[in-house]
Amino acid sequence: MIRITTESFNLEEEFNKITNSTNGAYSFFLGTVRSDIEKNQKINGIFLECYEKLAYQQLSQIQSKAIKYWKLNECVIIHRVGNLLVGEKIVLVLTSSNHRSDAIKSCEFIIDYLKIDAAFWKFNITGNEQIPIQAKEKDQKKFLMWKDVIA
Amino acid sequence: MKRGEELIEVKEKITFKKLKPFLIEKDVIFEEIFEDKSTKFFLNLIEINNENIILQEGDEIAFLPPVTGG
Repeated sequence: MIRITTESFNLEEEFNKITNSTNGAYSFFLGTVRSDIEKNQKINGIFLECYEKLAYQQLSQIQSKAIKYWKLNECVIIHRVGNLLVGEKIVLVLTSSNHRSDAIKSCEFIIDYLKIDAAFWKFNITGNEQIPIQAKEKDQKKFLMWKDVIA
Repeated sequence: MKRGEELIEVKEKITFKKLKPFLIEKDVIFEEIFEDKSTKFFLNLIEINNENIILQEGDEIAFLPPVTGG
């Protein structure tokens, strides 16, 4: 399941949707808006936008890669867009498998890949200003590392 | 970078390569976009690898800066 939404989500509800007796392991990554300082100003939140058609396609491709490489029973990706305050949820990756290794590794793969290969953009909100968040070199390195792993 | 959508009309079929000067003439911001090596170009949700591809009526082109989701 893949969802791009302005609405928040409930972690337990999403977990309950994929619970079944086949699963021996669940892994999740939850990204949230953190308090920070930008240009000496406190960040009140972030604005997230996406190119929705492309983002859905890219998330679907990332999910397919994960399912192809690891033995997953379920794979959920939820990504929010719009204005989000400090502390709010941004993204959820939830995977389930018979054994823990598949769930843990695929979850890490999905969030690392998503950061580089899905059409979302974040902006820090300070006062009335929206400041684009720059792509990080360390994220690019992790992306390239995974490319080698799943090649 | 400027955000949003715009409908562009051209009188004849052109390649993506030839569309570039056409867009720069319309708005100088495109010069900056095309010079930025980190910008990715997509045609109907597929990354453009061949600039000589001929554009068709109704095609959707996207100019995307490096992504920062997650």
